[in-house]
Amino acid sequence: MPQFGKLFVNLVAIAVLGVGGGLGSAWYMVEAGSRLTTRSFGPWITWIAAGRPDADPYTRAHTARNGLLPIASTLELSFYAKTDSGGGQLQSACDYAVTFEGLEGAWWNLAAYDRRGGLIPNGADRFTFSSDTAMREPDGRAVIVVARDARPGNWLPVGAGKVTLALTVQDAVMAAAVHTGGSIKPLPTIRKMGCR
Amino acid sequence: MTPRLPTPALPEARWPNLAPPRLDVRRPARPAPPGWLRKIHWRTAIGALLLAGILHVAATLAVPLIGPGMAYQKLRDLLPANTMVVVPPARPGKQLLPFLMPDAYYGICRYSVASEPITVSAPLADLGWTLSLHTPHGDNFYVIPGQQLRSTDLSLVVVPAAEKSGDLIPAATRRAPVASEDQIASPSEEGLIIIRAPLKGLAWKGEAEAALARAKCTPGLKP
Repeated sequence: MPQFGKLFVNLVAIAVLGVGGGLGSAWYMVEAGSRLTTRSFGPWITWIAAGRPDADPYTRAHTARNGLLPIASTLELSFYAKTDSGGGQLQSACDYAVTFEGLEGAWWNLAAYDRRGGLIPNGADRFTFSSDTAMREPDGRAVIVVARDARPGNWLPVGAGKVTLALTVQDAVMAAAVHTGGSIKPLPTIRKMGCR
Repeated sequence: MTPRLPTPALPEARWPNLAPPRLDVRRPARPAPPGWLRKIHWRTAIGALLLAGILHVAATLAVPLIGPGMAYQKLRDLLPANTMVVVPPARPGKQLLPFLMPDAYYGICRYSVASEPITVSAPLADLGWTLSLHTPHGDNFYVIPGQQLRSTDLSLVVVPAAEKSGDLIPAATRRAPVASEDQIASPSEEGLIIIRAPLKGLAWKGEAEAALARAKCTPGLKP
Protein backbone atom coordinates (compact mmCIF):
# COMPACT_ATOMS: atom_id res chain seq x y z
CA MET A 1 0.00 0.00 0.00
CA PRO A 2 2.79 2.50 0.79
CA GLN A 3 4.26 1.65 -2.61
CA PHE A 4 0.98 2.52 -4.27
CA GLY A 5 0.89 5.86 -2.46
CA LYS A 6 4.44 6.63 -3.58
CA LEU A 7 3.57 5.75 -7.18
CA PHE A 8 0.48 7.93 -7.05
CA VAL A 9 2.43 10.91 -5.71
CA ASN A 10 5.06 10.48 -8.43
CA LEU A 11 2.43 10.29 -11.15
CA VAL A 12 0.74 13.42 -9.83
CA ALA A 13 4.11 15.17 -9.73
CA ILE A 14 4.74 14.30 -13.37
CA ALA A 15 1.27 15.51 -14.35
CA VAL A 16 1.51 18.78 -12.44
CA LEU A 17 5.16 19.60 -13.05
CA GLY A 18 5.51 18.10 -16.49
CA VAL A 19 2.19 18.60 -18.24
CA GLY A 20 0.90 21.58 -16.27
CA GLY A 21 4.23 23.35 -16.08
CA GLY A 22 5.08 22.76 -19.74
CA LEU A 23 1.74 23.78 -21.19
CA GLY A 24 1.18 26.55 -18.64
CA SER A 25 4.53 28.17 -19.27
CA ALA A 26 3.99 27.91 -23.03
CA TRP A 27 0.57 29.52 -22.70
CA TYR A 28 2.02 32.36 -20.63
CA MET A 29 4.88 33.01 -23.04
CA VAL A 30 2.51 32.98 -26.03
CA GLU A 31 -0.25 35.09 -24.52
CA ALA A 32 1.51 37.54 -22.24
CA GLY A 33 5.01 37.43 -23.65
CA SER A 34 8.23 38.06 -21.79
CA ARG A 35 11.16 40.43 -21.94
CA LEU A 36 12.56 38.24 -24.71
CA THR A 37 9.62 38.93 -27.01
CA THR A 38 7.99 42.17 -25.89
CA ARG A 39 8.94 45.68 -24.80
CA SER A 40 6.94 47.82 -22.45
CA PHE A 41 6.69 51.59 -22.46
CA GLY A 42 4.54 52.58 -19.51
CA PRO A 43 1.20 50.85 -20.00
CA TRP A 44 1.95 50.07 -23.67
CA ILE A 45 3.28 46.66 -24.70
CA THR A 46 4.53 45.73 -28.15
CA TRP A 47 5.69 42.43 -29.59
CA ILE A 48 9.13 43.25 -30.94
CA ALA A 49 9.19 40.84 -33.89
CA ALA A 50 5.49 40.90 -34.79
CA GLY A 51 4.83 40.22 -38.45
CA ARG A 52 8.47 39.65 -39.34
CA PRO A 53 9.43 36.52 -41.28
CA ASP A 54 12.30 35.96 -38.82
CA ALA A 55 10.04 36.25 -35.78
CA ASP A 56 10.72 33.96 -32.81
CA PRO A 57 8.37 30.99 -32.20
CA TYR A 58 6.56 32.74 -29.32
CA THR A 59 5.69 35.75 -31.46
CA ARG A 60 4.56 33.54 -34.33
CA ALA A 61 2.40 31.52 -31.95
CA HIS A 62 0.95 34.70 -30.46
CA THR A 63 0.08 36.02 -33.92
CA ALA A 64 -1.52 32.75 -35.03
CA ARG A 65 -3.41 32.07 -31.83
CA ASN A 66 -5.00 35.49 -31.76
CA GLY A 67 -5.78 35.59 -35.48
CA LEU A 68 -3.70 38.72 -36.03
CA LEU A 69 -2.25 39.92 -39.30
CA PRO A 70 0.35 42.49 -38.27
CA ILE A 71 2.45 44.57 -40.59
CA ALA A 72 6.15 43.91 -40.06
CA SER A 73 7.42 45.65 -36.97
CA THR A 74 10.31 47.05 -38.99
CA LEU A 75 7.86 49.62 -40.38
CA GLU A 76 4.89 49.78 -38.05
CA LEU A 77 4.51 49.10 -34.34
CA SER A 78 1.35 47.93 -32.62
CA PHE A 79 1.14 48.78 -28.94
CA TYR A 80 -1.55 47.41 -26.64
CA ALA A 81 -2.59 48.80 -23.26
CA LYS A 82 -4.82 46.99 -20.79
CA THR A 83 -3.98 49.31 -17.89
CA ASP A 84 -3.70 53.06 -17.39
CA SER A 85 -0.41 54.77 -16.59
CA GLY A 86 -1.10 54.21 -12.89
CA GLY A 87 -1.41 50.44 -13.35
CA GLY A 88 -5.22 50.16 -12.95
CA GLN A 89 -7.19 47.96 -15.35
CA LEU A 90 -8.84 49.88 -18.19
CA GLN A 91 -12.58 49.57 -17.75
CA SER A 92 -15.57 51.32 -19.19
CA ALA A 93 -16.79 52.46 -15.76
CA CYS A 94 -13.94 54.98 -15.72
CA ASP A 95 -12.99 57.89 -17.98
CA TYR A 96 -9.43 58.18 -19.30
CA ALA A 97 -7.47 60.95 -20.98
CA VAL A 98 -5.00 59.66 -23.54
CA THR A 99 -2.55 62.47 -24.23
CA PHE A 100 -0.37 62.44 -27.33
CA GLU A 101 2.67 64.62 -27.01
CA GLY A 102 5.85 64.01 -28.94
CA LEU A 103 4.70 61.68 -31.71
CA GLU A 104 5.05 64.40 -34.31
CA GLY A 105 6.11 63.19 -37.71
CA ALA A 106 4.72 59.71 -37.17
CA TRP A 107 1.37 58.47 -38.44
CA TRP A 108 -0.62 56.94 -35.59
CA ASN A 109 -4.00 55.43 -34.90
CA LEU A 110 -5.72 54.78 -31.57
CA ALA A 111 -8.69 52.41 -31.27
CA ALA A 112 -10.60 50.87 -28.39
CA TYR A 113 -11.48 47.17 -28.34
CA ASP A 114 -12.72 44.60 -25.89
CA ARG A 115 -10.17 42.15 -24.50
CA ARG A 116 -10.56 39.81 -27.48
CA GLY A 117 -9.93 42.50 -30.08
CA GLY A 118 -13.57 43.10 -31.01
CA LEU A 119 -14.93 46.57 -31.58
CA ILE A 120 -17.20 47.87 -28.83
CA PRO A 121 -20.68 48.92 -29.99
CA ASN A 122 -21.55 52.52 -29.22
CA GLY A 123 -24.26 54.94 -30.20
CA ALA A 124 -21.87 57.41 -31.78
CA ASP A 125 -20.53 54.70 -34.12
CA ARG A 126 -17.01 55.96 -33.45
CA PHE A 127 -14.15 53.56 -32.90
CA THR A 128 -10.87 55.26 -33.60
CA PHE A 129 -8.83 58.42 -33.91
CA SER A 130 -5.70 58.93 -35.96
CA SER A 131 -3.07 61.62 -36.38
CA ASP A 132 -5.22 62.82 -39.31
CA THR A 133 -8.53 63.00 -37.46
CA ALA A 134 -7.71 64.00 -33.85
CA MET A 135 -8.23 67.63 -32.93
CA ARG A 136 -5.21 69.37 -31.39
CA GLU A 137 -4.86 71.59 -28.38
CA PRO A 138 -3.30 75.03 -28.92
CA ASP A 139 0.02 73.64 -27.72
CA GLY A 140 -0.02 70.85 -30.30
CA ARG A 141 -1.03 68.01 -28.00
CA ALA A 142 -3.87 65.69 -28.90
CA VAL A 143 -6.02 64.59 -25.98
CA ILE A 144 -8.44 61.73 -26.61
CA VAL A 145 -10.98 61.03 -23.89
CA VAL A 146 -12.00 57.38 -23.59
CA ALA A 147 -15.37 57.36 -21.84
CA ARG A 148 -18.77 55.73 -21.92
CA ASP A 149 -20.69 59.02 -22.02
CA ALA A 150 -20.19 61.86 -24.48
CA ARG A 151 -17.32 64.25 -23.86
CA PRO A 152 -16.32 67.41 -25.74
CA GLY A 153 -13.39 67.19 -28.13
CA ASN A 154 -11.89 63.86 -29.14
CA TRP A 155 -14.30 61.42 -27.53
CA LEU A 156 -13.64 57.71 -28.01
CA PRO A 157 -16.74 55.89 -26.74
CA VAL A 158 -16.54 52.52 -25.01
CA GLY A 159 -19.29 50.15 -23.90
CA ALA A 160 -19.46 47.92 -20.86
CA GLY A 161 -16.58 45.77 -19.67
CA LYS A 162 -12.83 45.83 -19.80
CA VAL A 163 -11.11 47.78 -22.53
CA THR A 164 -7.93 47.29 -24.55
CA LEU A 165 -6.46 50.29 -26.31
CA ALA A 166 -4.49 49.59 -29.47
CA LEU A 167 -2.04 52.16 -30.75
CA THR A 168 -0.53 51.76 -34.20
CA VAL A 169 2.50 53.92 -34.96
CA GLN A 170 4.02 54.03 -38.43
CA ASP A 171 7.57 55.27 -38.04
CA ALA A 172 10.52 53.26 -39.34
CA VAL A 173 13.05 55.10 -37.14
CA MET A 174 11.03 54.40 -34.02
CA ALA A 175 10.58 50.78 -35.07
CA ALA A 176 14.33 50.40 -35.42
CA ALA A 177 14.84 51.90 -31.96
CA VAL A 178 12.45 49.38 -30.45
CA HIS A 179 14.42 46.54 -32.02
CA THR A 180 17.79 47.80 -30.90
CA GLY A 181 16.59 48.61 -27.40
CA GLY A 182 17.06 52.34 -27.91
CA SER A 183 14.85 55.14 -26.67
CA ILE A 184 11.78 56.05 -28.68
CA LYS A 185 9.47 59.00 -29.04
CA PRO A 186 7.25 59.31 -25.97
CA LEU A 187 4.08 57.27 -26.20
CA PRO A 188 0.81 58.75 -24.97
CA THR A 189 -0.01 58.71 -21.29
CA ILE A 190 -3.31 57.20 -20.10
CA ARG A 191 -4.59 59.14 -17.12
CA LYS A 192 -7.65 58.05 -15.18
CA MET A 193 -9.99 61.03 -14.86
CA GLY A 194 -12.57 59.42 -12.61
CA CYS A 195 -14.93 56.50 -12.18
CA ARG A 196 -18.65 56.13 -11.68
CA MET B 1 57.35 68.96 11.79
CA THR B 2 54.40 67.35 13.41
CA PRO B 3 55.33 65.20 16.37
CA ARG B 4 54.34 61.59 15.91
CA LEU B 5 51.88 60.45 18.50
CA PRO B 6 52.15 56.93 19.88
CA THR B 7 49.59 54.56 18.45
CA PRO B 8 47.07 53.59 21.12
CA ALA B 9 47.16 49.92 21.86
CA LEU B 10 44.08 47.92 21.05
CA PRO B 11 42.03 46.88 24.07
CA GLU B 12 42.30 43.22 23.03
CA ALA B 13 46.08 43.51 23.10
CA ARG B 14 46.06 44.97 26.56
CA TRP B 15 43.37 42.72 27.99
CA PRO B 16 43.33 39.62 25.82
CA ASN B 17 41.12 37.79 28.26
CA LEU B 18 38.41 40.42 28.02
CA ALA B 19 37.49 39.72 24.41
CA PRO B 20 33.70 39.82 23.95
CA PRO B 21 32.22 36.41 24.42
CA ARG B 22 31.00 34.68 21.30
CA LEU B 23 27.29 34.48 21.16
CA ASP B 24 26.08 30.99 20.51
CA VAL B 25 23.25 31.70 18.16
CA ARG B 26 21.54 28.55 17.09
CA ARG B 27 19.68 28.65 13.85
CA PRO B 28 16.15 27.40 14.07
CA ALA B 29 15.78 23.92 12.71
CA ARG B 30 14.77 23.88 9.05
CA PRO B 31 11.20 22.60 8.78
CA ALA B 32 11.06 19.12 7.37
CA PRO B 33 9.46 18.84 3.91
CA PRO B 34 5.96 17.41 3.94
CA GLY B 35 5.63 13.68 3.66
CA TRP B 36 4.22 13.65 0.13
CA LEU B 37 7.18 15.68 -1.12
CA ARG B 38 9.62 13.12 0.29
CA LYS B 39 7.84 10.44 -1.70
CA ILE B 40 8.79 12.08 -5.01
CA HIS B 41 11.83 10.36 -6.42
CA TRP B 42 14.55 12.61 -7.78
CA ARG B 43 14.28 10.79 -11.11
CA THR B 44 10.60 11.67 -11.22
CA ALA B 45 11.41 15.34 -10.66
CA ILE B 46 14.00 15.39 -13.44
CA GLY B 47 11.68 13.45 -15.75
CA ALA B 48 8.85 15.89 -15.06
CA LEU B 49 11.09 18.86 -15.81
CA LEU B 50 12.21 17.24 -19.06
CA LEU B 51 8.59 16.52 -19.98
CA ALA B 52 7.70 20.12 -19.18
CA GLY B 53 10.44 21.37 -21.49
CA ILE B 54 9.39 19.07 -24.32
CA LEU B 55 5.72 20.01 -23.99
CA HIS B 56 6.60 23.72 -23.78
CA VAL B 57 8.56 23.61 -27.04
CA ALA B 58 6.06 21.32 -28.79
CA ALA B 59 3.06 23.45 -27.83
CA THR B 60 4.75 26.68 -28.86
CA LEU B 61 5.75 25.29 -32.24
CA ALA B 62 2.38 23.63 -32.81
CA VAL B 63 0.25 26.73 -32.25
CA PRO B 64 1.08 28.39 -35.61
CA LEU B 65 0.16 25.14 -37.38
CA ILE B 66 -3.10 24.47 -35.58
CA GLY B 67 -3.76 27.94 -34.17
CA PRO B 68 -7.48 28.37 -33.60
CA GLY B 69 -7.54 31.95 -34.73
CA MET B 70 -5.10 31.91 -37.62
CA ALA B 71 -6.03 34.84 -39.82
CA TYR B 72 -5.44 33.06 -43.13
CA GLN B 73 -7.74 30.17 -42.19
CA LYS B 74 -10.51 32.65 -41.41
CA LEU B 75 -10.09 34.57 -44.66
CA ARG B 76 -9.51 31.56 -46.95
CA ASP B 77 -13.17 30.55 -46.93
CA LEU B 78 -14.44 34.10 -47.34
CA LEU B 79 -12.30 35.32 -50.22
CA PRO B 80 -12.07 34.04 -53.80
CA ALA B 81 -8.59 33.27 -55.09
CA ASN B 82 -6.64 35.84 -57.10
CA THR B 83 -9.30 38.53 -56.87
CA MET B 84 -9.07 41.84 -55.06
CA VAL B 85 -11.99 42.21 -52.66
CA VAL B 86 -12.65 45.58 -51.04
CA VAL B 87 -13.83 45.25 -47.44
CA PRO B 88 -15.66 48.21 -45.90
CA PRO B 89 -14.61 49.63 -42.52
CA ALA B 90 -15.10 47.19 -39.65
CA ARG B 91 -18.08 47.50 -37.35
CA PRO B 92 -18.95 45.58 -34.17
CA GLY B 93 -19.87 42.04 -35.07
CA LYS B 94 -18.76 42.60 -38.69
CA GLN B 95 -15.04 42.39 -38.18
CA LEU B 96 -12.88 40.16 -40.33
CA LEU B 97 -10.08 39.84 -37.80
CA PRO B 98 -9.41 40.91 -34.20
CA PHE B 99 -7.72 44.28 -33.69
CA LEU B 100 -8.23 45.15 -37.35
CA MET B 101 -8.07 48.91 -37.71
CA PRO B 102 -11.56 50.44 -37.82
CA ASP B 103 -12.38 53.36 -40.13
CA ALA B 104 -10.20 51.85 -42.82
CA TYR B 105 -11.05 50.16 -46.10
CA TYR B 106 -9.13 47.00 -46.85
CA GLY B 107 -8.42 45.61 -50.28
CA ILE B 108 -7.60 41.93 -49.78
CA CYS B 109 -6.48 39.42 -52.38
CA ARG B 110 -5.96 35.77 -51.52
CA TYR B 111 -3.34 34.81 -54.03
CA SER B 112 -1.89 31.58 -55.28
CA VAL B 113 1.27 31.48 -57.37
CA ALA B 114 1.17 27.71 -57.74
CA SER B 115 0.37 27.85 -61.46
CA GLU B 116 1.40 31.35 -62.54
CA PRO B 117 2.62 34.68 -61.14
CA ILE B 118 0.19 37.28 -59.87
CA THR B 119 0.22 40.86 -61.09
CA VAL B 120 -0.81 43.43 -58.51
CA SER B 121 -1.80 47.04 -59.13
CA ALA B 122 -2.27 49.05 -55.98
CA PRO B 123 -2.80 52.73 -55.25
CA LEU B 124 -1.21 54.19 -52.13
CA ALA B 125 -2.99 57.50 -51.81
CA ASP B 126 -1.69 58.94 -48.55
CA LEU B 127 0.15 58.45 -45.28
CA GLY B 128 -1.18 55.46 -43.35
CA TRP B 129 -1.96 53.52 -46.54
CA THR B 130 0.05 50.34 -46.88
CA LEU B 131 0.48 47.49 -49.30
CA SER B 132 1.57 44.35 -47.51
CA LEU B 133 2.10 40.73 -48.51
CA HIS B 134 1.66 37.94 -45.96
CA THR B 135 2.25 34.21 -45.92
CA PRO B 136 -0.52 31.94 -44.59
CA HIS B 137 1.31 31.94 -41.23
CA GLY B 138 1.05 35.71 -41.01
CA ASP B 139 4.64 36.56 -41.92
CA ASN B 140 4.69 39.96 -43.58
CA PHE B 141 7.45 39.47 -46.15
CA TYR B 142 6.88 42.69 -48.09
CA VAL B 143 5.39 46.04 -47.14
CA ILE B 144 5.44 49.49 -48.64
CA PRO B 145 3.84 52.53 -47.00
CA GLY B 146 2.06 55.43 -48.65
CA GLN B 147 3.63 58.88 -48.66
CA GLN B 148 2.03 62.01 -47.33
CA LEU B 149 0.10 64.00 -49.93
CA ARG B 150 1.58 61.94 -52.74
CA SER B 151 -0.52 59.36 -54.49
CA THR B 152 1.45 56.46 -55.88
CA ASP B 153 0.21 53.73 -58.17
CA LEU B 154 2.26 50.62 -57.64
CA SER B 155 2.52 47.67 -59.95
CA LEU B 156 4.35 44.51 -59.04
CA VAL B 157 4.50 40.83 -59.83
CA VAL B 158 4.40 38.15 -57.15
CA VAL B 159 6.35 35.07 -58.16
CA PRO B 160 7.29 31.88 -56.30
CA ALA B 161 10.54 32.24 -54.42
CA ALA B 162 12.10 29.35 -56.36
CA GLU B 163 11.31 31.03 -59.66
CA LYS B 164 12.83 34.33 -58.58
CA SER B 165 16.08 32.65 -57.65
CA GLY B 166 15.91 30.58 -60.83
CA ASP B 167 17.74 27.75 -59.15
CA LEU B 168 15.02 25.16 -59.10
CA ILE B 169 13.57 25.67 -62.56
CA PRO B 170 15.33 24.48 -65.69
CA ALA B 171 16.27 27.32 -68.01
CA ALA B 172 14.17 25.89 -70.85
CA THR B 173 10.95 26.03 -68.86
CA ARG B 174 11.64 29.31 -67.06
CA ARG B 175 9.17 32.12 -67.78
CA ALA B 176 10.24 35.26 -69.55
CA PRO B 177 11.78 37.60 -67.02
CA VAL B 178 10.21 40.92 -66.14
CA ALA B 179 11.91 43.86 -64.52
CA SER B 180 13.44 42.43 -61.38
CA GLU B 181 12.56 45.45 -59.25
CA ASP B 182 8.86 44.68 -59.88
CA GLN B 183 9.18 41.10 -58.77
CA ILE B 184 8.37 40.05 -55.25
CA ALA B 185 9.33 36.51 -54.34
CA SER B 186 6.65 34.81 -52.31
CA PRO B 187 8.09 32.31 -49.82
CA SER B 188 4.83 30.35 -49.95
CA GLU B 189 2.57 29.30 -52.81
CA GLU B 190 -0.41 31.02 -51.22
CA GLY B 191 -0.82 34.15 -49.20
CA LEU B 192 -2.57 37.46 -48.79
CA ILE B 193 -2.07 40.82 -50.46
CA ILE B 194 -3.57 43.57 -48.34
CA ILE B 195 -4.06 47.24 -49.12
CA ARG B 196 -5.01 49.24 -46.03
CA ALA B 197 -6.72 52.57 -46.69
CA PRO B 198 -7.44 54.50 -43.48
CA LEU B 199 -10.15 57.15 -43.77
CA LYS B 200 -9.37 60.69 -42.74
CA GLY B 201 -13.06 61.24 -42.30
CA LEU B 202 -16.35 60.70 -44.09
CA ALA B 203 -15.43 63.33 -46.67
CA TRP B 204 -12.62 61.10 -47.93
CA LYS B 205 -14.80 58.00 -48.23
CA GLY B 206 -15.53 58.44 -51.93
CA GLU B 207 -11.91 59.18 -52.72
CA ALA B 208 -10.72 56.07 -50.89
CA GLU B 209 -13.33 53.89 -52.58
CA ALA B 210 -12.39 55.25 -56.01
CA ALA B 211 -8.71 54.63 -55.37
CA LEU B 212 -9.31 51.08 -54.15
CA ALA B 213 -11.51 50.35 -57.17
CA ARG B 214 -8.32 50.65 -59.24
CA ALA B 215 -6.62 47.94 -57.19
CA LYS B 216 -6.19 44.71 -59.12
CA CYS B 217 -4.83 41.27 -58.42
CA THR B 218 -4.78 39.17 -61.56
CA PRO B 219 -3.07 35.94 -62.56
CA GLY B 220 -0.41 36.20 -65.24
CA LEU B 221 2.33 38.64 -66.10
CA LYS B 222 1.91 42.31 -66.94
CA PRO B 223 0.98 42.93 -70.59
